Amino acid sequence: MMFVIFLSLLLLIILITGLIAVFLPRLFGSGILFSAFSFFVVLAYLLLSAPDVAFTEAVISVISIAYYVIAIRELRKGDLE
Amino acid sequence: MKQKHSSIILEVAYRLLIPVLIVFGVYVLIHGEYSPGGGFQAGVILALAVILNRVLEPADVKKNYWTYKTIALAGMGPVIYMMTGLLSIPFGGHFLEYGLLPLPVHEVERHLYGILFIEVGVTLGVMATIISIFDSLGKVGDPDERGNLL
Repeated sequence: MMFVIFLSLLLLIILITGLIAVFLPRLFGSGILFSAFSFFVVLAYLLLSAPDVAFTEAVISVISIAYYVIAIRELRKGDLE
Repeated sequence: MKQKHSSIILEVAYRLLIPVLIVFGVYVLIHGEYSPGGGFQAGVILALAVILNRVLEPADVKKNYWTYKTIALAGMGPVIYMMTGLLSIPFGGHFLEYGLLPLPVHEVERHLYGILFIEVGVTLGVMATIISIFDSLGKVGDPDERGNLL
């Protein structure tokens, strides 16, 4: 019972963070919220006893936030010129 | 030459973090058979150690990265994978049959070494590909003869 309650709460948080990350107009905040989203996805994978998938998701979220940061930096460079 | 730093706190944190990242990447690669991890995750962690330097570098520093050599290294990973697979064919096995690799150890250990070589190939390929994608996103590297950045 405790498991079901905790997993439902986690899925609700995942849904809320994902929706905010999609509909936020600011690009950098959207990237940060995406990393929060994937952190909760990692917790959900760990709860469902899939540590291998959780590890891959954590590593991939770190590398994708690095990609977003460098792409947003390039976009702002284009705005200034 | 005096260089501007983006942030002294991030610089110090980076210097403390990079040995931990490299050791943890190698640990994930070698111990990936018994615990979560493997070639892909180890490659991403090792690439992260290189990418952190490029994120933290100030924008006005002259970049001197080996862009073409990164792509060559990304090709070396699949070559290691393919050579390990093909090496068992002259000794009478199929492609990737680790038990017939020409190593002077027991057959069970031959399986372990064969999987380790495969994982090293995957790690090199993933690491160099991620660094190369990052360089292309940030448009760094030497311009070619037409002036385009790779």
